[in-house]
Amino acid sequence: MSNTLFDLATSCRVVLCCRVAPLQKAGIVDLIKSRTDDMTLAIGDGANDVSMIQMADVGVGICGQEGRQAVMASDFAMGQFRFLKRLLLVHGHWNYQRVGYLVLYNFYRNAVFVLMLFWYILFTAFSTTSALTDWSIPTIVVGILDKDLSDKTLLKYSKLYGAGHRHESYNMYLFWIMMIDTLWQSLVLFYIPVFTYSESTMDIWSMGSLWTIAVVVLVNVHLAMDIQRWVSFTHIAIWGSIIITYACVVVLDSIPYFPNYGTIYHLAKFPTYWLSILLITVLALLPRFIFKVIRQTFWPSDIQIAREAEILRKRRSPTRSW
Amino acid sequence: MNQEMTAGASKSSATAAKKHSKKPKYRLASEIQQELLEGSLKLKAAFGELSKAGRRLEDSRFTQQELPAWKPILTPAWVIAAFVLIGITFIPIGLASLFASERVVEIVDRYDDGCFFLNTNQSLLLDYIRNPKSNKTCTRRLTSLLFSVLSNLTTLIFQVPKKMRSPIYIYYQLGNFYQNHRRYVKSRSDKQLRSRKGEDEIKDCQPIAKSGEKPIVPCGLIAWSLFNDTYAFSLKNKALTVDKKDIAWKSDKEHKFGSDVYPKNFQSDGLIGGGKLNHSIPLSEQEDLMVWMRTAALPTFRKLYGKITVDLEANETITVVIQNNYNTYEFGGEKKLVLSTTSWIGGKNNFLGIAYLCVGGICLFLAINFILMYIFRPRGFYADAEEEEKDEEDY
Repeated sequence: MSNTLFDLATSCRVVLCCRVAPLQKAGIVDLIKSRTDDMTLAIGDGANDVSMIQMADVGVGICGQEGRQAVMASDFAMGQFRFLKRLLLVHGHWNYQRVGYLVLYNFYRNAVFVLMLFWYILFTAFSTTSALTDWSIPTIVVGILDKDLSDKTLLKYSKLYGAGHRHESYNMYLFWIMMIDTLWQSLVLFYIPVFTYSESTMDIWSMGSLWTIAVVVLVNVHLAMDIQRWVSFTHIAIWGSIIITYACVVVLDSIPYFPNYGTIYHLAKFPTYWLSILLITVLALLPRFIFKVIRQTFWPSDIQIAREAEILRKRRSPTRSW
Repeated sequence: MNQEMTAGASKSSATAAKKHSKKPKYRLASEIQQELLEGSLKLKAAFGELSKAGRRLEDSRFTQQELPAWKPILTPAWVIAAFVLIGITFIPIGLASLFASERVVEIVDRYDDGCFFLNTNQSLLLDYIRNPKSNKTCTRRLTSLLFSVLSNLTTLIFQVPKKMRSPIYIYYQLGNFYQNHRRYVKSRSDKQLRSRKGEDEIKDCQPIAKSGEKPIVPCGLIAWSLFNDTYAFSLKNKALTVDKKDIAWKSDKEHKFGSDVYPKNFQSDGLIGGGKLNHSIPLSEQEDLMVWMRTAALPTFRKLYGKITVDLEANETITVVIQNNYNTYEFGGEKKLVLSTTSWIGGKNNFLGIAYLCVGGICLFLAINFILMYIFRPRGFYADAEEEEKDEEDY
């Protein structure tokens, strides 16, 4: 019986159930949930909706005339039913984009550092752990503030929501591409100083210092390349973290008790140091940049197109009111 | 009190008294009531204003995420501009680096295999090098090089390829020597090096920490393996002075190696790993030790030995008398003597120049490709978006 109901229900665009008891409401949600991988959302305002809200993957409660029972059992609470549209199309979309990108980025950031140390181990049995400060502030700022599309565009073109259904922000393909890119970047990061300073008087602490700075610069410029919306905080977070890392290195290298004492002062005098960092940053990010350009030119995604429309239209007619 | 009020009112003005005299007392109370009501309404309005202002503060541009933003798009202009910019900055840098590197004159000579044929009996070789008093003569010819070995001496003769301007730096280069091995790098005591008070801080220096019961200064494997080949240069039978001052980092001389620390019990017993130190010179003046203890990053490295402060003309013949003391034969290491001038890029290394040229060239090539691509296969930006808008309207 429930199979027939399921088949019938999934063939229709909209199904109306009336005279339904609370347990049956939950049963309907469970009917879909147990037979498919789809995400289910339940929204309700009364105490009789609580079981349905709890059964669904996402439960939304309305605080209103029937009290706050539904709200207390739900994941999201709002004042009116119509806010659901904004919750899904705007905030749901943004959250998915941000979380998907940040997961990939965090894999990359950790892997590039570890791989670089790994390549060094092949040259020695030693790992250079000179003072490295782990700056995850830029990723937090990007995760909070970055937006790919404005809310008006998302509400207007509801089809853009499909990007989430199609797993466009985080999937196996993206993960492996990211890992291959990480491998390349770690190789560039490691080998350029090795080739530049082969058969020279370069000591281990200076090399470690160079790698530390290069990693921080590279990782931040990588993030900067992907940010879609630059506000003042983003600038402060990204460039600030590079500046702060430099400041930390200078401070630590000024304390005679650390083995690094004096390294940055000695290194910074030589243009070779700065040229290495510049070369590392550009060469490591070059394949990624090319890949991005080609993909955006030949196979632009819906979001990409909508974004271009939104921004270019706004630039061409800035007086047009949204 | 009311009587006083009414009396007072009638006293103040006739017209006022006339107005008020008509109104009975209960109306006065209701007037007060009205005033109170008006007052409370005003208060309510004022609160309303405040709370609206408060809500406006909460709805600031930050919390509503409507801060002014720059939204970059990769338009063709940006892409081509980026590649062209990288190309036109990198190619000159590459050329300048390559030019600077080519200007450096370098003489590199491997001398550890000087006297010995490669298939010499290994144990004989090791006996020879370990014996501090070994005395052998050996002659060997290698193209334009002449060798003669007297005890541990090796003499090299070579020609200066191009004019070398002073200062000319003398380095010794070691190959297959892992100064960056974990145990090796840790085997030192910075506290001991810094001051006499830290003499007993030898816990990281095992196995080269104590001689009998007394601590070794400086302890550890790094100091123990001090390089001790020496080089004496002569030009046209006149000795060339080698300036061995200021070869270590200034920061090392001033802060890392104390001026009150003298070597003690150094290389006095057991296995001797390298050079000996003059026990009457403080560590802050032992520049060879300081240079050696700045552990190298890679297995093939150079360390500064000294400087020659005169110019060397092209095709001049220099004779070097080497004391071939250091035992690299045990582990298949290499020893080379290097004379080199420097430029702003450091020693002779073409890598940066070539790398910059390649990257710059690739970027310009890509820029041209993208220009062609955008001309022949343009992807209209606005056009795409307009089409999609039309689709939406059909619904």
